[in-house]
Formats: sequence, structure tokens, C-alpha cells
Amino acid sequence: MFRNKNDRPVGLKIIIVGCGKVGSTLVDQLCREGHDITIIDTNINKIHELTNLYDIMGVEGNGASPGIQKDAGIDSTDLLIAVTGSDELNLLCCTVARRVRRCSTIARVRNPEYSMEVDYLRGQLGLAMIINPELEAAKEIARILYLPTALEVSPFAHGQAELVQFKVPEGNILDGITLMQLSSKVPARVLVCAIERDGEVEIPTGASQIQSGDIISFVAQRSTIKNFLQHICVKTKRVNSTLIIGGGKSTYYLAEQLLHMGISVKIIEKDKKRCEELSTLLPKAIIINGDGTDEELLREEGIETVESFVPLTGLDEENVMLTLHARQLSETKVITKINRLSFKKVISSLELGSVIYPRLIISEAIIAYVRAKKNSIDSNLETLYHLFDSRVEALEFRIDRSSKATDIPLMELKMKDQVLIAFINRRGRILLPTGNDCIQVGDSVMVVTKHSGFDEIEDILR
Amino acid sequence: MNLSMIRFILGSILKIQSFFFLLPIITAIIYKENTLLPYLGIALLCLTIGIITTLKKPKDSVFYLKEGCVATALSWILLSLVGCLPFYLTGEIPKFVDAFFETVSGFTTTGSSILSDVEALSYSNLIWRSFTHWIGGMGVLVFLLAIVPMSGGSNINLMKAESPGPSVGKLVPKIRYTARILYLIYLGMTLAMFLFLLVGRMPVFDALCTTFGTAGTGGFGVKNSSMADYSPYIIWVTGIFMMLFGVNFNAYYLIIFHQVKKAFKMEEIRWYFGLIFASTLLIFINLYRIGMGGFESLTHAFFQVASIITTSGFATTDFNLWHESSKSILILLMFIGACAGSTGGGLKVSRLLILLKTIRKEITSYIHPKSVKKIKMDERPVEHEVVRSANVYFITYIVIFALSLILISFDNKDFTTNFTAVAATFNNIGPGLETVGPTANFSHFSSFSKLVLCFDMLAGRLELFPLLMLFIPELWKDTINPKKKPPHLKTKINSFYKK
Repeated sequence: MFRNKNDRPVGLKIIIVGCGKVGSTLVDQLCREGHDITIIDTNINKIHELTNLYDIMGVEGNGASPGIQKDAGIDSTDLLIAVTGSDELNLLCCTVARRVRRCSTIARVRNPEYSMEVDYLRGQLGLAMIINPELEAAKEIARILYLPTALEVSPFAHGQAELVQFKVPEGNILDGITLMQLSSKVPARVLVCAIERDGEVEIPTGASQIQSGDIISFVAQRSTIKNFLQHICVKTKRVNSTLIIGGGKSTYYLAEQLLHMGISVKIIEKDKKRCEELSTLLPKAIIINGDGTDEELLREEGIETVESFVPLTGLDEENVMLTLHARQLSETKVITKINRLSFKKVISSLELGSVIYPRLIISEAIIAYVRAKKNSIDSNLETLYHLFDSRVEALEFRIDRSSKATDIPLMELKMKDQVLIAFINRRGRILLPTGNDCIQVGDSVMVVTKHSGFDEIEDILR
Repeated sequence: MNLSMIRFILGSILKIQSFFFLLPIITAIIYKENTLLPYLGIALLCLTIGIITTLKKPKDSVFYLKEGCVATALSWILLSLVGCLPFYLTGEIPKFVDAFFETVSGFTTTGSSILSDVEALSYSNLIWRSFTHWIGGMGVLVFLLAIVPMSGGSNINLMKAESPGPSVGKLVPKIRYTARILYLIYLGMTLAMFLFLLVGRMPVFDALCTTFGTAGTGGFGVKNSSMADYSPYIIWVTGIFMMLFGVNFNAYYLIIFHQVKKAFKMEEIRWYFGLIFASTLLIFINLYRIGMGGFESLTHAFFQVASIITTSGFATTDFNLWHESSKSILILLMFIGACAGSTGGGLKVSRLLILLKTIRKEITSYIHPKSVKKIKMDERPVEHEVVRSANVYFITYIVIFALSLILISFDNKDFTTNFTAVAATFNNIGPGLETVGPTANFSHFSSFSKLVLCFDMLAGRLELFPLLMLFIPELWKDTINPKKKPPHLKTKINSFYKK
């Protein structure tokens, strides 16, 4: 009613219940995308903190109460995201919201007991999405351990293609060659999507040169990735053993996945009771009751010989210290989980190697959903990843209808600068495109870009 | 402090002000007045300075409450300094201090005047004088927020500093739309009132000026006799609209969005109307008893109560001659003021309610020393912070009041004049009693006293603290002497941890 039509982008109306770690990350990210956000929390101080920082409205109270939801304007809301500390409350919030108004709902559910039945819950309660940061973080850690050279591995096209980030070592054969020469030197088909050098990220062209010390991220079919890495003489053997510090929920999810992959898992946890719980849940894992920050204990349990080391304690500081400690002792692959987003710059300057931010992982998933929803005519954004500290976005679009971008050879498309089409997924086959390929209806297309806010394929055009 | 952001805001204010000058310019053209040149010159000067200072967008657009307060206070001072130039340059108000006083009185919606003969002013100056009320009513920074896109959520701090009331909230998540909704309601009501006045055969120019004065709850009239010579219809329309502009605008938002019940359930609004009703009744009885006609006493009683409680300050009669009890009621109403979130001034009804409830709480705690009782408003607990700030506000209010009273007493006027002069300016009302009564004016004060009263008006409009902050030296310390930045963190840490 009071809106100017030219105010692009017009955002969705979103209610976020719970302003904890995940909630505030979501506020930050969704605010930047220009949505109308109302937050609900029982703690008035948290509301004040956020409303002073961001252009949002706050309501104090229990988010599951219909009255409070009405105060927050549920009657005109498009999406409710429940991310309080309690799974049950989140589910209740969403259920109530569905009754008061049939808006889309997203709930965070992280208890392993529910996570087995996520699909059932989602279907029965009519949720649009159930998010589980611990599980997503565990999945990402498992992917990296599978490919330990990588700093980050992100799956696309239902896992058929992967975007891999790794650091080009000194004296590698890639050093000094341009991307045009790459295909002649290495038989495996890969496409380099982004190069980071001295803190600057660039979407490369054929003439861009790779130097040692660069962090490059490339996309390829899953099966060819190992092949490619072998060709450029980088060790790719997946790890066989892991030492995990801390026995929280993420540890459980991670251990389960790793054991499934056949990697042996050792967990060090302080709390005796939790150790017993873990040992019943994970009979194949070795559970050690002790202080993970005790140097002697770590040595005794073989931190110098273990192939990978994952500190998953609840304290970021401990995780960082453990990582630095492990890197000093051995060449083992270390993955650090960081919960808080503050001091990101300091952390990236420490060069810890692979760093996982569970909060970012799930906010990416939600933003992908929100962007797809915003473009309600044909919601075709399937996946979204933020790379290189959110400076680069990798997006996967489903092409449902013909548009200005379809059926035209790629070299004739007038694309924006710093945009690259990484692959075309045609009926399950991954094509690394050349200038003569066209985007067709029915494909899904992956785009890598330094722009932000793309929500449909036509956005790549000038 | 983020000085570049403050510079940017001040520049934007200048740009907006140059557009505000269009109204007197058009008036000058219509009436073929020789004030056209000064107005055009000042408008162009504002525009150029505004454009130059806003050319470079600040890199860092984040600012906190302190920047919001400082920007607001400085904007209002700047606005008044620039706004008084036309009066001074056209020579119609020969003394600069007088012109400044008149403009501050306009922007802060006070309506105290130093002019003894209002009708001698040119049309363009008259309309500019009334228009300042309209601009100041809803606030120029809220206007800025509504039209200039600014990134970041910290803009709420600008609105907090400018909007009256103990706790400022948003109507919709985005501050821009909140500001727009407020201005649309404001504009709509202004237009409605203007049309009602035209129906009553008020001359267009008078109707426009009166509407501006009423909408901002200002009170500058275009006649020496204020409203006294107009027909009862016009007086009633003005009275009712004054009352409506003194209502919390959140209530109108609720009414527009079909939550009428909720709007009428707001405690503040019930008390506000209750106060108006009770005071009108008492004064009506008083007037009726001294032999005024029934309808006439009702008209005067209602109009004067509405005019004082909303802090407008229009007058239909010289209430200085009324019964002492009526005058006392009016003086008390001066301090109470209108609702929070309206265009009126004063302590605000909601703040008064909170203060009264703390008294009740204190008394209960004497009877039941261990009792726990949360103060509630609209059936919701009031945060401790809000209660505390209402208390501190009240104390600060009294301190400033007392100091101002002493400062202007050096002019050696009688106590009633001094007391009501401070009350009338500090609460943004306009006329006081005795020699500053509805038929008199403020011109007899010394320049120094006028400046003190200007400060009171600004402090009253901006709810004290933004203006007081400017006097804290600590605020300016690191701005004048910025410390050298520490060496880049990354290099430091790298050298520390590198293997």
C-alpha cells in the first residue's frame, strides 16, 4: 500500500522467532537482501541489540502464541522461520503459524531423535523446510575428509557435481599456466570458477593465470575430481582415521557419517555420562573420557599420527587453539568449526586451513529458499553457496521456461562482468560448457558470480 | 564519532530545506511581493551547499545512538539558523535574535512570538512562519528517512532522537515505510482539515496558515487576535483537529488497518480524552458562572483546553482575564502535554501515566514492603529501562526549568510572567500569562533571555537529551584529536603465528 513500485528489490515479509546465534545470522543476511523482517524473542535485550543494528521490527514474547504472532503481523507474512533453542517450540511455532495463516514455515530441528524422521515431520506439519545446522556442518566436514586436499567441498546437482576449493602448492604443474592451457595439460575436464590471490577474488577468463599460493575453486563431475587432482600430483587419498574433540550433536552426526564411510573415529569427551550415551549410539567408535585440551592426553591418543583432527568443542577459542596446536605437531588435516561470526577477519588471517561456519551453511540454505520464493512465478533457484567469505556466490538454477537466456549459444549471450556459467546439468549429465552450448529448458545451470542477489537466470544478463 | 555521516545528514537537510522554501517563493510570486529575491537567494544557497556537502557519500554509514542524537540536535539548530534568514534579510524582523527566536518557535511548534503586529508581515513571510510549524510537527529527519534511501538499520537512532515519547517503536519492519506511513497520515489529516476550513468560508491563505499551525500543534496565527475573529464553525474545526493531532499516530495506523478496538484500548489515549473532557467541563462551569452564554463558554473552554493540552497555543479569547482556577488548570495542562508519538510537546500523557504508576507502586511498597509489582501499560509490563528514563526525564525537566527560570529572572519581570514564559516555551505551547499572555508577546525580553528560551524550545521539542549531549566535552574529544590507527592486524598476527 505504501510501497513504491520502483523500490527494487521488494522483499518478502519474514518473521524470525528466536534471536540466538542462527537467528541473528539470518537477520544479518536476510536484511542485506532487503526483506521486511520482524523478530520475536522472549529476551527484550536481544531484541534491542538487533533492532538497533538492523532495520527490523522486534516483538517481545513467546513466538508460539497466536497473539504474539498477530502482533508481529503474521496476517501479512510470507515466511516464518523458527530458530529458538528448543526443537519442540520451533515445531509448535510453525504449526501455529500454519493455522493462523497459511504461510511457509521453516523450523530448526537438531535433536538426532527427530532428525531420523525429518521427512515425516515435514510432511505432516506442512513445513517448507527443516534445518539442522549440526547435521549440515557434519556433512560438510565429512565431504572435506573424503577429499582432504580440499579446503571446501560443495555439492551441486544432487551431488553429481562438486565445487572444490584448494590451495595450489609450491612448484605444482599448475603454477604459471593459463586456464586456456589447462585443458591441454590435464586430460580431466574441470572448470576453474574463481581464483583468490592476496585476498582478492576474481572470476577468471581464459587468459587468467594460476600461480602457486592461489586458492582456486573448480567444478567438475564428482568422479573426475580425484582423477584431476592425481594428474596435477596432489595427494588425494581420503583419510582413514579421525580424532574428534568434544561430544556434542555435531560430533554424533559426523561420527555416524564417517563410520558409514569406513573411517575410524576416536572421540574425546569430558562428560562421563555423555561418553556412555555416545558409546551406545556409536558402538564402532572409540570413546575416550577425558579433557580434549590436555596436551598429554592428545599425545597419548595419537594426535601426531592421526590422519585428520576435528575439534568440535562448544568454545570457538578452544577449537582455534586445538587447531593451531595440531598444526604445530603434525601435517594432519585439520577442520575447525567456528560458531560465532565475529572476528572472522582475524580467524581467516590465522590460516587455519578448512574452517566451517555451521551458521553460514544453514543461512545459505534459507537464503536460497527465500530467493526462490521471492521470485514466485517460477521458483527456480535450487542451491546457493557463499564462497570466499561471501564475496562470491555459486548458484544453481533450474530452467523451467524459455527466457532471454535460453537457446542462445553462450558466447552470444551478453553476460554481466564477473559472471561465469560453470556447468549445465542436462538430464543428469554434467556438461562443462563451451561457447557453442546453449541453455535449454529443462536444464539446471550453475552460475558463479561476484554479484549478489541473483534470483533467476536472466539476472546474469546485462 | 562518524562525522562524515553527520555531515551527509546535515547536507541532506539543507537540500530538503531549499525545497521547503518553494512555498514562500510561490506565495511571493502570487502576491507580487519584493520578498521573492531574498527567498530565492537563500533557497539557491541552501541547495548549492547541500549538494556540495552530500556529493561524497560517507564510506561508513553505521552510526549509533550518540551520532543519531548529535545529528538531530545539529540539524534542528541548522534548520533554525537558515530558516530565520528570510525574516532578517527582508528586514521585517530587524533584530537577528528576534528572527531566530521566531523561527525556533516555529520549527519547535511552540508558537511564541516576538511580533506585536503580525498583520504587518508580508504574505510570504507569514506563510513561511506557519509552514515551519508543519515541518517541525512530524520532524524533518523523519521526512528525511521517508524520502532519502539510507542503508543500515541504525537509522532508527535518528527517529528515536526526534520522535517524542518514552519509547519509540516502528509500525512496520522497515524504517522507511514507517516514516512514510507517518507522513501520509499527517498529510492526509492536514488536507482534511484544510478542506473543512474552506467549507467554513475561511480565506484560502488564512486556512492554509491555520492548518499548518494546527497540524504541527504550533499556534502561529495570521491575525493579531489569533483565532478570536473567526466564526464558531472554524473555531470548532480547528479545536477538534488540534485534539486529533495531539493523539498518538500509532492509533491512526491501527485504525487504518482495522484494529479500531486496539486503538481505543490504548491507555494513553483514554487518559488524553479523559483529561480534555474533565478540564473542559471545569472551565465551562467556571465561565458559565461568571455569566457567559452556554454555547460560547463551551466553545472557549473546549478550544482553550485543546489548544493548551496539545501545546498548540491558539487563542480565541484572552484567558489571562479568566478565573484563577481556570488559569491554574490551563497551566497544569501545559506541563502534561499531548500523547507520545503525536506532533505535540510537553511531558506527554504516557510519561505522566508511568510516573503516576510509580507513585502507586511506591505507596504499595510501604504497605507490603516485600511486594513485587510490575508497572503495566496497555496490559503489558513496562520495561524497567522505560520507567527509569521517564523518571530521569522528569528530573532533568525540572532542573532545566528551574535554571531557565533563574536565568530569565534577571530581566526583573513578575514571577507569573517568568514562570509561564518558561513553561510556554519549554513545553512548546506559545502564550503564557500576564505580559506573555495570548494578547501580548515575548518582544520585551532581553536578547539573552530570548536565547535561553530558544534553548528551552529546542530542548523541549527534542526531548532534552539530544540537545544536552552537545555540551558533553567527552563527545567531541576523540573527534577533534583522532588517534592514529593501529598497524594492520593481519600482518601482526601472521608474524606471530607463522610456522
